[in-house]
Amino acid sequence: MRDALENAVAEGRCGNRLWLYATYHCNLACVYCLTESRPGIANRRALGREIMVRAATDARDLGFTCLGVTGGEIFMLQDAAETIAELGGILPTVVLTNGTLFTERILTRLEPLAGSVVALQISLDSPEASHNDALRGPENFARVATAVPALLERGIRVRIATTVEDQTEDELSRLCELHRSWGISDDDHLVRSVVRRGRAALEDMGVEPGPMDILPELTLTADGAFLHPFAPTVRHGVTDLDLLVSRQINPLEAAVSRFLRVVADQPVGTDVARNIR
Amino acid sequence: MSRVRLLERDEAPVHARSIYAADGSASPLKRSLANAPDLLETLLPFLGQIFDEGAVDLPTKELVVVRVSQLNACRYCLAAHRPLALELGTPAEHIAVACNELPASSLPAREGAILEWVDRYVADPHSIDDDLVARLLDHVRDDQLIELSLLIGATQLLNQYCTAFQVPPPN
Ligand code: SF4
Repeated sequence: MRDALENAVAEGRCGNRLWLYATYHCNLACVYCLTESRPGIANRRALGREIMVRAATDARDLGFTCLGVTGGEIFMLQDAAETIAELGGILPTVVLTNGTLFTERILTRLEPLAGSVVALQISLDSPEASHNDALRGPENFARVATAVPALLERGIRVRIATTVEDQTEDELSRLCELHRSWGISDDDHLVRSVVRRGRAALEDMGVEPGPMDILPELTLTADGAFLHPFAPTVRHGVTDLDLLVSRQINPLEAAVSRFLRVVADQPVGTDVARNIR
Repeated sequence: MSRVRLLERDEAPVHARSIYAADGSASPLKRSLANAPDLLETLLPFLGQIFDEGAVDLPTKELVVVRVSQLNACRYCLAAHRPLALELGTPAEHIAVACNELPASSLPAREGAILEWVDRYVADPHSIDDDLVARLLDHVRDDQLIELSLLIGATQLLNQYCTAFQVPPPN
């Protein structure tokens, strides 16, 4: 299994990262959210720390070389800081967060991540508070602009992720100036389009991903294992299953084996244009 | 109203797409099972072998399926298998007996013994006695009786599934 995965990664058929959807619960309700996450969501679909740690350990044994944690917002979970530290002890981990829940107490609990292989990837869509907040919710810009320096001061690696919908070139270059002013390099700034799935599809936003646009990266949620992190989307409260590869996520090997059967159809070669990252 | 999503082909998980026909159609039962694609890998070949012609001919097998479905009052399986049984050559009078529309006494001895086996197997297998087994074995081999019995079990499985999830009968 390990050889098969490593070969598929080497051939460019899939990525070497395992993604974990920590929860579908969120304190925000962004207009383009893939997962219809929002406060008070009834079906939170949390994976749970034990399952995430077990999956991460299995992933390392099977040849994955890094982890991604996404959602929903992981910091809605009580034990988020400790879970992230534990995952980071298993494999290098990038954690996607909206960056709005970093109270002093959480910042203190995140201090063990200083200088570690964990990076927090914070969403920020515009250097203009009004435009950013129209997409991501009131006060979002101010909270992120406070959180990023606070995390960096504590020695925690921060990346910025920007989801592009109607921002101007000028706006995006001012956003780059802003992250550089915080000391975040261009390599740690990820820019991608809104993907037309989930709430974005209902809002008529974003680009329709083509079959080869997104690199397959095994993605675990409470609903099963999916082809990539843009796959387990939600529409009208129901999870899309079109890109489900297995209902079984534990042990991970079963999901990996079905995932490899799907990616066997992917074109070989690293020159395949993956337009959505 | 189905209690489980009936997935269209383009909504179905990657590994479940092969159960849809080229025009994208599939029975409501299959469209519901597409929600659990991992199970399909073994379930469909298993059901295929149990329901297809084997050591027992198809008209007999369909008679058994209709009888089990009648006993379980499964709307879905009766709607699907009653016409199929006719199409596959099960005599209409035998189907009418299986559906309680004619008395069992009108059946030939072989079919009468088989339906008696079905009735007792479904209602209470403890009620099966040596006399019934001996009468059955006058008409079918032991491996054929095994095949029919597994068919009863598989039909029960689908009857219970379709009834509990209210899978709408096929048109
Ligand atoms: S896009 Fe992210 S931050 Fe916004 S509602 Fe969805 S999960 Fe929450």
